[in-house]
Amino acid sequence: MKMQRALTRWLLALGALHGTVVCAGFFAPYDPAVQNRMYPYLPPMRVHLVDTQGHLHARPFVYQPKLRVGSFDQYEEDITDPRPVKFLPSGDYYRLLGFLSCRRHLFGAKNARIYLLGTDAYGRDQLSRLLFGGQVSLVAGLLGAGITLLIGMCIGAVAGYFGGWRDTLLMRLAELFMALPWLYLLFAIRAFLPLAVSPLKAFFLIIVVIGTVGWARPARLVRGVVLSAKERDFVRAARGFGATNGYLLRRHILPETSSVLLTQAAILIPQYVLAEMTLSFLGLGVPEPVPSWGNLLSSLQQYSVLISHWWMYLPAVAIVPFYLGYLGLASSLHERGAAYKIESRILGNLT
Amino acid sequence: MIAILEIQDLHVSYRSSGGGLCPALTSVSFGLMPGEIMGVLGESGSGKSTLAGSLVRLLPANARITRGAVQFEETDLLRANADELRQIRGRRISLIFQEPSLALHPTMRVGEQVRQVLAAHDSLGKSALNEQTRQVFDQVFPEEADRISHSYPHQLSGGQRQRVLIAQAIACGPSVVIADEPTASLDPTTQMEILGVFRNLREKLGLAMIFITHNPALLCGFADRVLVLYAGKVAECGPAETVLASPRHPYTKALFHSIPTVFDRPGNTRKTKLPAILGDSARSSLPIQGCPFEPRCTERMDTCKEREPTRVNLSASHTVSCFKYES
Repeated sequence: MKMQRALTRWLLALGALHGTVVCAGFFAPYDPAVQNRMYPYLPPMRVHLVDTQGHLHARPFVYQPKLRVGSFDQYEEDITDPRPVKFLPSGDYYRLLGFLSCRRHLFGAKNARIYLLGTDAYGRDQLSRLLFGGQVSLVAGLLGAGITLLIGMCIGAVAGYFGGWRDTLLMRLAELFMALPWLYLLFAIRAFLPLAVSPLKAFFLIIVVIGTVGWARPARLVRGVVLSAKERDFVRAARGFGATNGYLLRRHILPETSSVLLTQAAILIPQYVLAEMTLSFLGLGVPEPVPSWGNLLSSLQQYSVLISHWWMYLPAVAIVPFYLGYLGLASSLHERGAAYKIESRILGNLT
Repeated sequence: MIAILEIQDLHVSYRSSGGGLCPALTSVSFGLMPGEIMGVLGESGSGKSTLAGSLVRLLPANARITRGAVQFEETDLLRANADELRQIRGRRISLIFQEPSLALHPTMRVGEQVRQVLAAHDSLGKSALNEQTRQVFDQVFPEEADRISHSYPHQLSGGQRQRVLIAQAIACGPSVVIADEPTASLDPTTQMEILGVFRNLREKLGLAMIFITHNPALLCGFADRVLVLYAGKVAECGPAETVLASPRHPYTKALFHSIPTVFDRPGNTRKTKLPAILGDSARSSLPIQGCPFEPRCTERMDTCKEREPTRVNLSASHTVSCFKYES
């Protein structure tokens, strides 16, 4: 019961995080590609409730930033120019869930632009880019994990079920893949492909590359489950009644692997998001101007940015709650699977 | 009459983890007539289940059938390819497993499990398939066939589960059913019920059966012939009435002698010790010289240690492997 609650809690937390990213258009105040050359590298704006005279305002407001006198990259708040925050204003057009054309945002500012997480070198809103970038990174993680699990399940099932030379061959191959330094393998694969590819192509390319590299571990786990499942009495009985291999795999054996696969999914997804970030950071992933967490971080490659604009690190922080959420989910899924196993063992002895 | 299933000189061994071969069955031969119930009797480790498994080649991965043939109609089952074998299993020869609670898929309704056996062999339409499933259920559950076919295995009692297994086994109308201790985990009244189901089915469908058990009492009035296995070898084989009433092999005699009786002679209050066969059942990994039963036999002779007894025909249908009857 307690375990079930933990599982629900993690699922809810992850659902909320993903919901925010999926509805990025609504939560983000601006289009992620819109530039504002007036304010490059603007630090996060502060939202005020009390003005300099000590008056309390019902509506939160921001001060319009201005360049500090005598500098070209230092900003200060123009206290003579407060701009109230507006909730649910109309703004840039976006497509909610990919098809609903909308222009309503969660918040904005009257006659001004509000940058809660600052801006980048071109004056693009970091918060909007972070949210939209999350879409790219998370989809990359989810699809990549899906591909990995599909390959892993097929290979593990074949190796475990048919055994013999197929098992030996596939498992040695899996060991080879586990020993490969995948980052450099990705470099090598990327090096084969043309330098300039369209963002969409590049996106699918990295998904496929990330997805095909990591199949070894899930394949080995699936193989183990299949090995024990195929010796079950009811599987032998079904075989004795003339069941085909396909039927046995589909109805009797692969369903047993579901808990292993779910746990693996929860472990793999954040890892693959991180892999996408690594690749994009190095410039091998999704190219500009499409935002992704990896290429939001790529400006950190410049030393000046690294030391003076701390808000450029924020996309790296964004992965943390996702990672924690998925690991929590993985551990409660694992416990749930283990509990079922214990339960069925006890029941099996009783009956 | 021609035997429907002819087992000739069957040898099966298990490869142990050390690499050695442990013989489980040596030189087992018998024929099963159509419509006949053959009772196979033996203690644990005598090779009963190995016999059941090897007939349709459903043995653990480390088992090797080293010699012999299993002739079923025109095909030798030991040499049939995987697809031929699949077509025969369930449709022509069915195997009923020992443990009904383990031999059913735990998360599938039992009706569906019977339906899948039919679907594996006949390409029927959906409604025809359901209709046939219902008919099969009616045969083993005269009452409440509907309710049971919609239950999951854990909702059924042991006897009901065993009936479901029987339904699976007879679904496609096989000519041979091999039952590997189908009543071992059931209580005596349920055992009798299940035997009744088998007897009914034999009368209705005319199927031949190999009924494996360690309990000689079950075979009384049920089996037509009895085959006694000891250490993977046929000790005695003959008509049930003869073997059960007047066993000839010393092992069969000792086995029947050790059946406990609840009530001794009336008036006899003295507690008598249950007669048991001395010694341990043969360790099959040791190379056995002579008769495998020799160390435990009360009627042993000098020759027993030296060579193996051959089969002796006591009558046309009754054979015994013992030197006592060799002349």
